[in-house]
Amino acid sequence: MMSEAPIFHSKYSYHHDGKAQQLDIHEILVKRSRLGIFLSYSMVVVFLGTNVYFVTTKVFCILILTFFEVNIRSIWSILVCFLLAKFLHYNPVKKERVVIMPAFGVQLETHYWSGRIVRLFVPISKILSSMLNECVTPVTCYWSLALLLRDEGELMLVFQLIRSVQKLQPPLKMLVPVWKALRAAINCEETSIT
Amino acid sequence: MDQQRKHTILMVSDFFYPNFGGVESHIYYLSQCLLKLGHKVVVMTHSYGKRTGVRYVTNGLKVYYVPWRAFLMQNTLPTFYLTLPIIRTILIRERISIVHGHQAFSTLCHEALMHARTMGYKVVFTDHSLYGFADVGSIHMNKVLQFTLADISQAICVSHTSKENTVLRSGITPDRVFVVPNAVDTAMFTPSTCRLSCDEIVIVVISRLVYRKGADLLVEVIPEVCHLFSNVRFIVGGDGPKRVRLEEMREKHSLQDRVEMLGAVPHARVRSVLISGHIFLNSSLTEAFCIAILEAASCGLLTVSTRVGGVPEVLPDDMVVLSEPDPGDMVHAIRKAIVMLPSIDPYAMHQRMKKLYSWHDVAKRTEIVYDRALQSSDENLLRRLPRYLKCGSWAGKMFCLVMIVNFLLWCLLDLWQPVESIEEVPDLVFIRNEHEDVVHDSI
Repeated sequence: MMSEAPIFHSKYSYHHDGKAQQLDIHEILVKRSRLGIFLSYSMVVVFLGTNVYFVTTKVFCILILTFFEVNIRSIWSILVCFLLAKFLHYNPVKKERVVIMPAFGVQLETHYWSGRIVRLFVPISKILSSMLNECVTPVTCYWSLALLLRDEGELMLVFQLIRSVQKLQPPLKMLVPVWKALRAAINCEETSIT
Repeated sequence: MDQQRKHTILMVSDFFYPNFGGVESHIYYLSQCLLKLGHKVVVMTHSYGKRTGVRYVTNGLKVYYVPWRAFLMQNTLPTFYLTLPIIRTILIRERISIVHGHQAFSTLCHEALMHARTMGYKVVFTDHSLYGFADVGSIHMNKVLQFTLADISQAICVSHTSKENTVLRSGITPDRVFVVPNAVDTAMFTPSTCRLSCDEIVIVVISRLVYRKGADLLVEVIPEVCHLFSNVRFIVGGDGPKRVRLEEMREKHSLQDRVEMLGAVPHARVRSVLISGHIFLNSSLTEAFCIAILEAASCGLLTVSTRVGGVPEVLPDDMVVLSEPDPGDMVHAIRKAIVMLPSIDPYAMHQRMKKLYSWHDVAKRTEIVYDRALQSSDENLLRRLPRYLKCGSWAGKMFCLVMIVNFLLWCLLDLWQPVESIEEVPDLVFIRNEHEDVVHDSI
């Protein structure tokens, strides 16, 4: 199997390695933003600072809401909200990997920046099909790749293995080759059984 | 002859399948006929219970059930600006060219049209109902309508009476309002294969039993008709708060064997109820168009109706007997209909209805409205704001402020999530073979 050219995006990049010993490996790497890390740590510092400030002022001052106090509080709240929003962009996931072993199964791996790797193996006999779903939330729409499993009520998501604040939402053009490869593997298995 | 331009239309309303009603079926049939004409149609509505996300209905019509909960009478909670992100995402990813909103009572429609105008899309609005001017609810509704229609590309009304009502309520210039009537699926509403005998005359009533649909008139009319004509029987289908009054009327006049109450009739069974009768009785107190009498006429029934709203415009004089919304006058009209009954040929009536009303004709006329809407010039915010100022001394300024804030929020959203980061959806082509439907995509 030939490797396809890598696909690049502002936040993600896709790589495919089809030559390694019968295995079909698809990877989506998440680009790390240094600004995101800095802001997430500063947000923590600011949060702690705000709490300490309020605790100390409560101890020494009477709780009358003067105009000056309201201004300070508003600025703090705005700063906190801004940094919280930025924190949501920070992601501890380094890359997600799908290893397709024909006639055997599919392994879903999540690699973190801290070095931890979470692996999940799904035998090929358990997979009925793979599908691309359009998901609609109250504010946006995105595509997700899911596996339909035998005797299971829920779909298994391929690229949302961890309960992170920012879920992995790779663009459709990266999900399509993985979906096609999964379908090919499942169809091969069905024809070999029948 | 140059090629007709193909549009990508977004239909927005709070009212769509799985709800059944006039607006819902209008959107569905119009979308299906536009798909046949080669346009791409996407429908956006709110979620119904567990039905959320993207669904595909017949012929690949894509429906977005956006997970905003309905709060009052199937309407989404009016949040003004919170629907901007999802509407912007849908407009960009589906490559929409025109946004078509339905029904003045739908909050999602008004919000979508507001956001679409801010983003520079062409918008069309269809009004399906008549509203008053006097009570608090109507005053508020008319002000909201005035805001939406202040800067609309084109508007559509379902009858000339409805056009007059909309123009008076909203202050829009009449030359921007088109009249495109509703239609009926004549293939579904066909007359009965065997003609009913005229020994016993059956009068059918199918409507929601509410005040607006004249249920109180029925309570007066039915006993009177049963007393005057011994060979007349009634079939009443539908449910609502006034059902209790009809049941009481049945008890009081001992009409249990002459008045049959069916309860709520599912839409798929309406035809079977209609073909069991000779005459269809419509007692509405207000009606912009009334699709029910079209369905009845398509099934070969003679219609007796109140002369309200747009009803006189719907059927030719030999297919309908009109009366004032007064019990005495309605009894007189029913007498006239019973006399006319032997000369009615259901099949001839059905054939005439096929020629007079068809959803394909409605779609072609709507296409003309879309073409006209796209011809209007693109204007920036400063050129559009004076139109809102005309809405009233206080209201005008408030509307301008709302639009300015909307514009600023849109600019902010553009910075947060640029247009390039929203992927466009690939076109799905549905291929049918004899054994199964197969979806082939252009990925």
